Amino acid sequence: MTDPTPDAPEPFDEAEYRRRQRSRANLMAVLLFALALLFFFITIAKMTVLK
Amino acid sequence: MAQSLTHGETALPADWRDLFALTKPRVMSLVVFTALCGLLAAPGQVHPVLAFSSILAIALGAGASGALNQWYEAGLDARMKRTAGRPLPAGRLDPQTALQFGVGLAAFSLFLMLFASNWQATLLLAASILFYVFVYTMWLKPRTPQNIVIGGAAGAFPPLIGWVAATGSVAPLPVLLFLLIFLWTPPHFWALALFVRSDYAAAGIPMMPVVAGEKSTRRQILAYALIMAAAAIAPWPLGYAGALYGWVAVVLSALFVLLSLQVGTRTAREGDAMTPEKRLFAFSIAYLFVLFGAVVADHWWPL
Repeated sequence: MTDPTPDAPEPFDEAEYRRRQRSRANLMAVLLFALALLFFFITIAKMTVLK
Repeated sequence: MAQSLTHGETALPADWRDLFALTKPRVMSLVVFTALCGLLAAPGQVHPVLAFSSILAIALGAGASGALNQWYEAGLDARMKRTAGRPLPAGRLDPQTALQFGVGLAAFSLFLMLFASNWQATLLLAASILFYVFVYTMWLKPRTPQNIVIGGAAGAFPPLIGWVAATGSVAPLPVLLFLLIFLWTPPHFWALALFVRSDYAAAGIPMMPVVAGEKSTRRQILAYALIMAAAAIAPWPLGYAGALYGWVAVVLSALFVLLSLQVGTRTAREGDAMTPEKRLFAFSIAYLFVLFGAVVADHWWPL
């Protein structure tokens, strides 16, 4: 069976858009926090090694 | 090029699972393991946080290389059964996002390596990313059946980077480990290429079985396996590794050569299950894991 209107845009799924946006924002927050911690511990480790 | 996942005028934000898949996590696991072994086998002690950060930088660098490779090869991937389900050819991710993700991850991995380790390791990491993306992916892979022979160097960098991250200098043992992965790559990939030959042919990638034929590929698998076995055992007689590593290398390399002999001396018929080729491919992965584990074990508990 062929699509009767092949060029018509698919209906926009607002809920899916928001879900993905939220999950990416949450992941980014966790990653940024983890990076801040990592950089803090790297700095402390380098100070310890230098001593 | 892959189609972007759009709904009308608005593109859906990429799902994090697709971005993760872009980094080729399975390849990354081998990279992380060999890099960790290179770092742990190095003389002296590295602060655990700095060691973790260096390995993380190598993992992110490998992930960036994988993402940029998939971005560039989205069109080719769409033509192969094995890769058609990847995020870009399947249309779940748009190319622009993949490119930005790859470049960003590469830049961040270099920054992290420089911050946590030294400029020598950072330079090697940058060289391995650039080599994989520009020399292997863009230049060699679509042009020559020797693509994975020369391109194998990109995958051989991790233990060397791990060692340099720990010591700041290059030594004979990590160079031998580099050589080992370099020589391991052709039999590993050609075993795979033998049983997915039609896929590569359909995509127009000049892999050895497609260009030189099966017989020649099988002979070359055996030849490389023999040279690789010599390189794997070499650290023992040369005095860079002890008997523990030496015996593990002898036994595993003998098995590798035996499996390569099975592949190298047979002829596949129409509808062949290609069991020896699949067995060699699976064993080659385990071989590298165990051998690198033995390098570390030998360093910690010399016989």
